[in-house]
Amino acid sequence: MTSLTRRGALGAAAVVVASCGSSDAPPSTGPRPGSGAGLLNSILVLEHAAVAAYAAGGGLLRGEARRYARQIGEQERDHVRRLEELIRGLGGTPARSRSRDEYARSFPLLHDGGDALRFARDLEERLVRAYLQALPKLPDAELRRAAAEIGADEGAHLAVINVLRGGPAAPQAFVTGAL
Amino acid sequence: MSGAVAPTRRALLVAAGAAPLALAAAASAAPASDLDILERLLLRERRLEAAYDGALRRGVLGEQLATSLRDQERDHARGIEMALTARGRRAPEAPEPDRRLAATLRSRAAFAAYALGLEGRAVRAYVDALASLRDTRLLQPLGAIMASEAQHQVALRMTLGEPLLGV
Repeated sequence: MTSLTRRGALGAAAVVVASCGSSDAPPSTGPRPGSGAGLLNSILVLEHAAVAAYAAGGGLLRGEARRYARQIGEQERDHVRRLEELIRGLGGTPARSRSRDEYARSFPLLHDGGDALRFARDLEERLVRAYLQALPKLPDAELRRAAAEIGADEGAHLAVINVLRGGPAAPQAFVTGAL
Repeated sequence: MSGAVAPTRRALLVAAGAAPLALAAAASAAPASDLDILERLLLRERRLEAAYDGALRRGVLGEQLATSLRDQERDHARGIEMALTARGRRAPEAPEPDRRLAATLRSRAAFAAYALGLEGRAVRAYVDALASLRDTRLLQPLGAIMASEAQHQVALRMTLGEPLLGV
């Protein structure tokens, strides 16, 4: 069986985000322009996809990897809740999650645990990147604090996935994530 | 599959390598408080580097891990030092050695627990800095260092046999 390649997984992750963004994140009309609500909503779309991805991929994993996938999925759910609160606080309407079937159609075909971990890595890379890129665009110190705290969590998730894939937890000095 | 262009590993490496340069970019005068924040972060990085260097010399952490973490802290320190000097501030002198360090260098577990504490405080310091800095050009590169320190925590928890996410 053909394994998911890195390039394929990255492309798939990009498709997930792009396709989710086209329909899941209606522009909010409530918050003032530049409030950060729209930006946080675009990250929320990615977080929703990550929650769905860990739920889908967890079934292909066993033992320790499965336990960590569940734990990371729960933390991504916490991030969803935190982002929703922030967006509402800014007068915006949080983007809603898609159905499991809709996510399943947009995710790459995952054949085994290796595919699931590669997809998880690529989603975490995107999440790290999304939070770091948001930092200079968020207008308020507390919004930046929230993005930084969640971004640190995503860096740790990426490290755990690195370990589960048999690599070092911290392979590079600057964790910039990937698009 | 769509025509979305996936980044190559080379592109990722180039992006990672560009982080310290991004820190040094824009040599225009930064607000004083930003410089103070950078200086405190630099001292923290040097303390981490000294800790891993001590662990390497005493052989308490494993050569590969200690070398990797020390070198990464050194890279962080270099990046922040470049940012400081590009903004007209001389890098501070090396910090006083932490007196608690020597006591932890007796065992792998004691050192890893000590380093985990340092890393946790470093992550919190970066979060505070990212909320406070006025020069937004510093935020992404410093965020990339913060995420690296969060990964160091995972590496140290693994050494200690603790749950990797700390809970």
